[in-house]
Formats: sequence, structure tokens, C-alpha cells
Amino acid sequence: MAAAAQAPAPAPDVRPHRTRTRTRTRAPRWRTALRYAALVTVLLIMIGPFLWQLSTSFKGTTEDIYTSPPRLLPAHPTFANYGDVADTIPVWDFILNSVKVAVANVATNVIGAAMAGYALARLRFRGRKTAGLVFVLALLVPMEATMLAQFATMRSLELNNTLIAVVLPGCIGAMNVLLMRNAFGALPYEIEEAAVVDGANVWQRFTRIALPAVKGTLAVVAIFSFMGAWDDFLWPLIVLSDSDHFTLTVGLNFLHGTFSNDQRIVAAGTIIAVAPLIVMFACLQRFFFRGVGEGAVKG
Amino acid sequence: MSIHRSVAIRTAVGLGAALSLTLLTACGGGGSGKGSATDGKIEGEIKFQTWNLRANFKDYFEGVIKDFEKANPGAKVKWVDQPADNYADKLSADATAGTLPDVVNLSPDLAYPLAKAGTLLNLDKDKVAAKFKPEYLDGAWHGFDMPGLDGSYAFPWYLNTGPLFYNKAMFKDAGLDADKAPKTFDELFADAAQLGQKGKATLAQPPTVEDFGRYGVEIMSKDGTKFTFNDAKGVEFLTKYQTMFKEGGLHKQALTLTAETAGQKFLQQEVAMNPGSAHDLETFKKSAPSLYSSLGITDVPTNTGKQNMYLQGLSVNSGSKNTATALAFAHFVTDQKNQEDFGHKVAVFPSTKGSLDKEYWTKSDGSEEGKIRVASAKMLPTAVNYTPVLFSDEMKTILRNEIAKCLQGKESSKEALDSAAAQMTKLIQQK
Amino acid sequence: MSASPSTVAVQGAASRPRAVAPGRRAGRAAGRTHRAFSPWLFLAPGLLITLAFNLYPFLATVWKSFTDARTLTPGTFVGLDNFTALLDDDQFWVALRNSALYVVLVVPCLVFLPLLLALLVQRHIPGIAFFRSAYYTPVVASVVVVALMWVWMLDDRGFINGVLRMVGVDPVPFLSNQWLLLLSSMALTVWKGLGYYMIIYLAALANVPRELHEAAEVDGAGPIRRFVSITMPSVRSTMVLVGALSSVSAFKVFTEVFMIAGPTGGPGGADTTLVMLIQRAGTGLQGRTGYASAMSIVLFLLTLVLMLLVLRADRKDKD
Repeated sequence: MAAAAQAPAPAPDVRPHRTRTRTRTRAPRWRTALRYAALVTVLLIMIGPFLWQLSTSFKGTTEDIYTSPPRLLPAHPTFANYGDVADTIPVWDFILNSVKVAVANVATNVIGAAMAGYALARLRFRGRKTAGLVFVLALLVPMEATMLAQFATMRSLELNNTLIAVVLPGCIGAMNVLLMRNAFGALPYEIEEAAVVDGANVWQRFTRIALPAVKGTLAVVAIFSFMGAWDDFLWPLIVLSDSDHFTLTVGLNFLHGTFSNDQRIVAAGTIIAVAPLIVMFACLQRFFFRGVGEGAVKG
Repeated sequence: MSIHRSVAIRTAVGLGAALSLTLLTACGGGGSGKGSATDGKIEGEIKFQTWNLRANFKDYFEGVIKDFEKANPGAKVKWVDQPADNYADKLSADATAGTLPDVVNLSPDLAYPLAKAGTLLNLDKDKVAAKFKPEYLDGAWHGFDMPGLDGSYAFPWYLNTGPLFYNKAMFKDAGLDADKAPKTFDELFADAAQLGQKGKATLAQPPTVEDFGRYGVEIMSKDGTKFTFNDAKGVEFLTKYQTMFKEGGLHKQALTLTAETAGQKFLQQEVAMNPGSAHDLETFKKSAPSLYSSLGITDVPTNTGKQNMYLQGLSVNSGSKNTATALAFAHFVTDQKNQEDFGHKVAVFPSTKGSLDKEYWTKSDGSEEGKIRVASAKMLPTAVNYTPVLFSDEMKTILRNEIAKCLQGKESSKEALDSAAAQMTKLIQQK
Repeated sequence: MSASPSTVAVQGAASRPRAVAPGRRAGRAAGRTHRAFSPWLFLAPGLLITLAFNLYPFLATVWKSFTDARTLTPGTFVGLDNFTALLDDDQFWVALRNSALYVVLVVPCLVFLPLLLALLVQRHIPGIAFFRSAYYTPVVASVVVVALMWVWMLDDRGFINGVLRMVGVDPVPFLSNQWLLLLSSMALTVWKGLGYYMIIYLAALANVPRELHEAAEVDGAGPIRRFVSITMPSVRSTMVLVGALSSVSAFKVFTEVFMIAGPTGGPGGADTTLVMLIQRAGTGLQGRTGYASAMSIVLFLLTLVLMLLVLRADRKDKD
């Protein structure tokens, strides 16, 4: 990885000592302030509800959570609710299953969608239009219409009640194929020309030239497929029957007790479900923009 | 390259084979084959499925299973538990694929379609199972009678009936006697009118099918071929609700609230009354201490003298490989001792004869829970399940939506009920 | 996976806007530079999975739509009965209206707002990583959870009406009026989708050469002018993709309405959407599989038409 990638915009090293001169990269101060104001406003709209959920999950049992107007901060913050979640369901096992499913889903999607997208965007062959149409049509098929048939297929493959069955139907999403096709399609064709002249075969052009050029979209696909697998509820529920195999979303549903409903514990459960995703995205996004940024930075 | 190709070809062949199999199985579906004999030896492995009980009662069930395996060496029970949501979808998938567990926890409305498809054992027709019938309360055993299928399809398990909670402080503020809760529907409507004048809502939900039943409306014809709640009595009942809604007796959002969100409105003290069960006491104590201190508990108003009963049972899969074991286990879990143990663990009631006469259910220990327990246990022997077993979720939605149109004043109560009854009757007559 | 220096240089050299549709031109210019079966090897995994788990089961649905199948009974052939019954079903027309409204109101928001958001977080200024991640949070949270929070806020005594009351406005019945319920669900859909499409736009914006903007700035073009004449054209294909994706998902909306307007679809079912109707008729143990399948087919055809319209508009723009 080029170290330069970490540097943001290719700003000149010389710091401008006269604010009147507009450098290419420095916006005037008022504009930066305006940008931050906008950023913070949007931020409040976007994460306000989560802070509320977080606050509820830390509220103790002595506190009325149904007061109106709602109290924003817990009076006596406590971790007890998280403990209750872990006591009620084997959270760690469920998380492990979810991670397995999500990671497998990322791997298959990134590889499969990139290959298919590359063929659709960069190669000429008869049937290309039809193949592209297959993915577009797949995007339109209503999921609820196919669920039972998929279950029957899994059963005949003797895969039901396995994590493989959870991953399989979505392991190369049509939507991801189309995203990859778009990304490859946006590349100028000249970048492969030199390689063609050098006699590189298709596979080499794909792995050495095309793939590195669409890292940004690959990261997008990775994030989407991780999330999709992580949040899926109905399909894993249908296809799994032993709780040893349950993924986190299915497992957390046990918190909506038949006999009790404690909002605080449910809130804690949802935080457990969401936190890893947020953390993962926060970590990935650096790599993600490094990959994207490379295209713009001239070495 | 060649490696890639062979893998691709093998995958293609594999998938092709799988798909052709799917075609064969997908056309089959429906009822499973005949299982093994019920009077065979009690051995082999069976699968036992409960509905959202693992989180709270893991130790209890593991204990019951251990006892059973000890009493029947050679028998093994594998226990699975399903989450609350989408249980019906899970059952559908298993039933169509023929992977239904050997012993399944069902409510009567879930048991009906499965029994109709031939996947459940008819206990009345089975010589081994029929012997156990006298051990259970009549009402509970017949709770799993299926119209047109001649017999009962599950061992009755736990029962429940809910008290009605009310907010004494709100009653007082409206000038009502906080210790005199309404006992009949007419009293309820009168109280609601008075609360409404003070700008307070009484209930958070429009009437349900159980309410019609408690008002004395015949929900279905005796032979279970058509819905009859649109008779004069039903119309009268709904008209009274319409008036109540106009006068502010129902919460402003009543038409869109679910049972869960309605409960929250009660917690937030926006409505004066809400039906519930003993489990809610814990929630009130924890989530709304201020409400708990002015909580009143009464019976749900009824004009028939009979309360509504919620019922769970254990069905045996008719296609089981070890039917004898499945049957023995279903009976074992629902026998007197195990049912009473379960009733001590959580606020539900045993359906075995004589259990409700035990001191635990007749003498209150003075706690709020104890009071509710004794009051409910008194009502249960005469309680009925007002919801017909044929009543599907889709019908529930139809009824609710027509009632909403009526309350909004878009339809008269007669029109609304006629329309709902017609739509629902059409659903059961479509084979 | 690091790019060799030469690649980077090549990319830099090649950054200039192109007016021709990329795929077509690439194909024609590059000519045949591979063996005939290569593309199919590349496509095989994706095509197989899609056919096996998506389109093939859908064919089963097509067949079922001509039968009176129930969840547990295979049913018999009844011809077009399900489709004629559909036309007589008042609920179906209500649902169709709601789903169509959803598309008309939600899609424009989801095409433009995330683009603005992407431009806002594009600049590498201190703390931007935090903002990007934060904006993405609604996407990663489950709809069910988020919807519950929204219901809290929209309640008569909730946060929003609390603020309005302070200003002296009567509480707005967000959760009891059928139109406000639908609008609230739409707002939730938009809010949840912003981050998702923002990321797609960011990936596209990264490929827009900075030199263009810099040149325009030197020429004295203001931000709005630059947006219209540089940014928009260079992310046009992405805008079309986002438009297509968001129209399909808006048309298939389910969870948001289910959670906000309630499982029965608002007062008297006035807010029911198509997928809600399919769910209601088709799920559970007494589901009318045949009828629900017929509805799925209609939904499929309508989304197909929608997609074609979007792509068509795209072609028109190009010519």
C-alpha cells in the first residue's frame, strides 16, 4: 500500500501564509465552518435515535422508562441489562455463527460478483445481454415468493439446518454483480490495452489490472454482503432448527419473551447486534477510502 | 483453467441433480406418510419442539427430558426451541418438506391446518392415546377438537386467562369509584363515557373476536362452515363501540396500535384499562413503578359468565419414525406432575384434572401475583376458547380492518360486519 | 493486492470524461482478446447461484399462480382465476396505490439527497471518517429496531410533538392519520437509505478526476455550477443505478409500513402495500399460496416495467 494514500488531498507541503490566496485545496475558513455545521446537523438526525436506544439499554430497573417526555440520560447507568442478555441466551455462540455466515458471504460475493461483473462489462461474447438480463430479473424476484421453494432445494441437497444453507442463496447477489459491472464499465478501456498488447490473458488482466482499479466498489460489495448476512432473519429461521446453529438475529428474537417483555433488555440486545457492524464499518472505511483514493492520487 | 472448468461442471451437475429432486418433492408436499405403530417399544430418538420457552425454562425442560430418558432407557429426546416471531412460517416450511419434529408445541389455531393436512396424530382415534383422555380437563381436551376432522389433535398443556388491569388514579380523577371496576360491558361503556368527558381514554384497542364472544355473540355456525358474528347482537355490540370511540373512550391511535404498543400506552398512563396476564406485573413493577402503585386488577367484563381461555398443547407427528416414543413423551410432559411443576415456575395453569384444586391455586399468599393466580384458577374450569380454531391470521386482519372502517365512520356497523363475515366465510370455503 | 506504479500512472492518464457508454465502446475497441468460453467461466458461479436459488424457484411461483394451492396443499389448476380475483380485490388497488406513491415520493429523495451527502463527506477534513461511519449507522441497524425508535418519536406525546407543543402548535397525529402514517414510513425509508446510497456515490465520486474541478474553479465556476456541469455528468450512470435500485426497493416496501402503520396496514388497512398483501395472503399455515403467487407475479411485472422506464429515460438522456 502506498503511504501517500493515507495523506488526504494532495496538498502542497508549503503552508500558505497569506489567507487571501486561494490554494487549490484549501477552502476558505467560513466554508469549512459551514461544512462542519451541516455535518453536525445531519449527524444528529442520523444517530439521535441510536443514542436513545443506548441510553435505554443502560437504564436500571428502578427507573421508569415510559415517562413522557422521555428522559434522555439514565439516572443510574448500569451494565446489568447486558448481563441479562448474556444470561438469557448464549450470545457468544450466536455471534460466532453470525460471523461465520457473514464472512463466508463476503468472500463468495466479492469473488463471484467481481468475476461476473467483469465478464459483463469488459468482455465481448454472444449472450452477454441475456446474461446481464438474468441478473436484472433476479433483482426483481420477490424474496417471499421463493422462500419455500429454496427450503425444499436445501432439503434435497441435505443442507438444511447447516450454516451453508444460510449462506448459499445469497452467496452471489445479483445486486452486487450489477454494482461490479458498473464499476468495471466506468474504467477507461485503455488501461487494459497495454496488457493486451503484452499478451496477458483474460485472467491476468482481471486480477492484475481491473480488480485493483475497482477496490472502492469491492469494499462496498464487502460491506453490503456482510450487513445483509448479519441482518437476515427470516431465511436463517426457516432453514435452521437447532439453536446451536442460530445466528444472532434469530437468537435475539428469544428476548421477546413469551412471558415477559423488558424493553431495556431488548434495547441491550439490539445494541449488541448493531455495535459490531458499526465498529466494522468504522475500521473498514479507512481501507475503503484508501482503495478508492488511489485512483485519484497520481504517484 | 482446466481445474476451474471441472469444478464448474461438477457444481453444475450437482445443482442440476438437486433441482430435479426439488421438482419431485415440490409436487409432493402435503401430508406425510404413515408413521410407526403407537403401541411399539419406547425407544429411539425423537425431536421435541417448543415455542420460545428455552430462554426462561432451560433447566426445567432439560430436567423433564432427563427424567423421561431415565424412565425409558433407549429413548433419546432432542429438544429444539423456536423464537416467538414467524413460528407459523417455520412450521409451514417443515410441514411441506416433511421435516416436522415428532412432538410439537402448538396452539389450536396452528394445529388445525396441520391436522387437516394429515400431519398430526388423531388422539381420539388412537387406542394408546385415547386412554389418557380422562386425565385432562374436558374443556382443554376439546380445545383441540378440529371441526370436520372428528377428534382431538394435541395433549392439552398449559392454560392461561388474563385479568384486566386498570389505573385507579385515572378512575379517581374521573370521579369513578376506584374499587368498583366494570363487570359487564354496559358498565364498561358507562365508565368509558365518564372518563371520556375528562379527556381520558379507557382502552387502547378496538374489540377483538374474543370480545364478541364474551358479549355473547355466536362467532361461527355450529358446523363450522360459516361466520355468524354479523347477527343482531354483533351489530349492537359494535355500534356501542362506535359510540365509545366517538366519545373518546378509545385511544386516538387505537386503530393502529398492536397488543404490544397498546400495553405501552397503559404503562405511559394514557389509557385507563388494558387486558393482560400475571406476567405483566413484573413489567409494571420494573418499567412503571408509578403505575404499579395505583394498579387495580379485575376480571375482563363478560356477559356470558365465561372467561376466555388461551391454550397450548403438544401434538404428535403422525409420520414419526418412533411414534410410540413421541406419544409417550408428549403425555409425559403434559402429565399432572410435570404440568404442576411448570405452573409453579411461571404464571400459567395446568390442564390436568384436579390440579387447579390444589392449594397453590386456591389459597392466595397475599401477593398480587397470588391474588391473580387464585382468581384466574377459579374461572378456568368454565372458561372457553372463544377464538374458533379456523380463525387464521388473515381473518384476524380482515375483522380488524372492517371494524376500523366502522369506527372511523366509513361504514355502518352492519355493513362492516357483513363484509367481514362474507370475506372470512369465503376463505374457509375455498378448498 | 497493491497496484503496481505503472497501473496508477495509467489510471491517472486515463482520467478524462467519456461521452460514450463505457461497456459498448470497450468491447468494440478491445475486440476479441480471449477464448470463447472464458466469459462463461467468469459468469458460471454467479449465473448458477442466481438461476438455482432465484429464477428457478420463481418459475415454481409462476406455476403456482395458476393453481389454488394452499400452504399445505398442492392445489389444482384453476387458470386465470387468481388474477381475475385480484382485479376484484379492493385491497389490491389500495395497496397498488400506496406502493406507487411510495416510488413517486421516495425515489427522487434517494437519488439526490445521498449525492449531496456524499459530496458533503467527500472532503478529507479532520474527523470526516467519524461522520461517514455515523451516517452509515441507520443502514446497519435492523429496520425493526429503528422503526420502534421512530414510533417513539412520532407519538402524540413523543419528541417531535413535544417540540411542536413548545412552539404552540397542536400535536400532529403522525400515527393515526392514514396519510401521515404513510409519509412517516417514507421518511423512515429515506433516512435508512441515505447512508447506503451515499456509499455507492462516494465510490463513484472517487473516480471523478480532481483536475476537472480544479480547472473549473480556476475558471471561476461556483459550487452549484460545478455540481451541474461536472459532478452530475460524471456520476450519471450511478444515478441511474441508484434510481433503478431505489424504485424497485420502494415498490417492494414492507417492513417500514408494517412497523409504523401496524401489521394491519394503518387504520382499516388504508396503508397496506403490495408486499404486505402478499405476506398476509401467503404466509402462515393457511396461506393462500396460489393467490399470493399471482400477486407476486404482478409485482414482478410491475417492477420490470418500472426498471425499463428508468433505463429508457437514461437512454433518452444519452442520445
